[in-house]
Amino acid sequence: MHIMEGFLPHPWWEIWLALSLPVVGYGVYRVNNLIKEQRNALPLLAVSGAFIFVLSSLKLPSVTGSCSHPTGTGLTAILFGPAITSVLATIVLVYQALFLAHGGLTTLGANIFSMGIAGPLMGYTIYKIFMKSGFNLFLTVFLAAAMADLTTYIVTSLQLAMAFPASSGGVLASFTAFAAVFALTQLPLAIIEGIVTALMFKYILQAKSDVLLKLNVISETTLVKIKESLT
Amino acid sequence: MHDMLDDYVYTNAIRDVNPKLKLLLGLSCILICVSSTSPIAPLIVATSMSFIILVIAKITWRLYAKLLLVPLSFALLSSLAIIFMQGETSIFTFTILGFSFSVAIEGINLALLLLSRTLGGMTALIFIALTTPMIDIFSILKSYGLPDLLLELSMLIYRYIFLFLDEVTMIRNAQILRLGYSGFSSSLNSFAMLSSVLFIRAWEQGERLIVAMDARCYNGRLGVMESRVSLSWRSIIAVVAYLGAITIIAVMTRDIGTI
Repeated sequence: MHIMEGFLPHPWWEIWLALSLPVVGYGVYRVNNLIKEQRNALPLLAVSGAFIFVLSSLKLPSVTGSCSHPTGTGLTAILFGPAITSVLATIVLVYQALFLAHGGLTTLGANIFSMGIAGPLMGYTIYKIFMKSGFNLFLTVFLAAAMADLTTYIVTSLQLAMAFPASSGGVLASFTAFAAVFALTQLPLAIIEGIVTALMFKYILQAKSDVLLKLNVISETTLVKIKESLT
Repeated sequence: MHDMLDDYVYTNAIRDVNPKLKLLLGLSCILICVSSTSPIAPLIVATSMSFIILVIAKITWRLYAKLLLVPLSFALLSSLAIIFMQGETSIFTFTILGFSFSVAIEGINLALLLLSRTLGGMTALIFIALTTPMIDIFSILKSYGLPDLLLELSMLIYRYIFLFLDEVTMIRNAQILRLGYSGFSSSLNSFAMLSSVLFIRAWEQGERLIVAMDARCYNGRLGVMESRVSLSWRSIIAVVAYLGAITIIAVMTRDIGTI
């Protein structure tokens, strides 16, 4: 969920930009190291970035009839980890602002924080914890993707609430109001994106599971086990 | 599918104006809108930018209206939340489902201010997007010292976005023909299939890309063509005068609310 250009007032857009920049900087450092290690990482990261952009420009099938797009943050975080995701998300967000008029340039920092940092971090953590405890893979992917979406939506509501606290009740009251307004579109969206991401995982596993092995997303033993249960 | 702004940027009527000047104009307008404390300056920016986009750059109004629709619906929803939260002295109160809502002058003022800022900012952003091609922006970013890695990554992503969009359209059409989106659950399934196939194809493209780039002596750096467009004094003076006028208006009207 993007905050549109011009909506975040003066101190806040600078604050979120200042918070996001070090994380993206760290991501760039990590990507740099990765490319020094493996030369063929750059083209693969590039096609993944383009994939995220194209995925996020598609319309999800939705119940409410509202215009809803997947964020793709959960999937990217599972595949590449949060640091690299923040770099890809930054580039994708700039392109979304310039190609689709979604989001904005002054609100870029806030959007990077919610969609490129907080959401992916949540998705990645959930994925790692649940996989380690031997939970069902598809359920884990569903949870990770849905929770990444929900986190993005909650952080965005919080960002708006902090910028516009209510006169009576302060940030908390205003957070409830923003969260309530956006819940209508964001809750079904998170569930649908979770289902779609889990299904996607299934198809990728069936058709090209070596990618997942190469990215260290799953171990060889779990892959064999899951493939057996699928056939 | 979306209308990609990039499809129109190469054919707009002010494509050949110096890109630095266009960026300066758009970015300054965005900053003026964000820092303005009354809705007047952003509204002037919105009208003048719309004029430039529609009349001077000759973009069709149908596309332009469609582009503004998404950000405006976000701004309207958020303003709705703001109207009910701000201010002490309420003008009127009503009750829905046991919750009482009260509207105060401060709330309406703030909501209108935010709407105008979003409108002004979005029109300026769309101005940049519709008039300045990405390759010009790349060469400007390069001259201002954006790290090579980010530039490289952005350029490759830019290149592949359009290839994948074609791919998606083809797959989606094939799915629609086979009634892939006829019901809700089959839509979900088709969508997942579409995105996973897209991911796999993207990955294979990436693996082939490194071979192709190596074959052409890729050394970790892609060249960017520096576009040298001369700056005409007339356009510089026009942009500076316009920005100066808007800034003065924004400063002079800083205390004016709406109601």
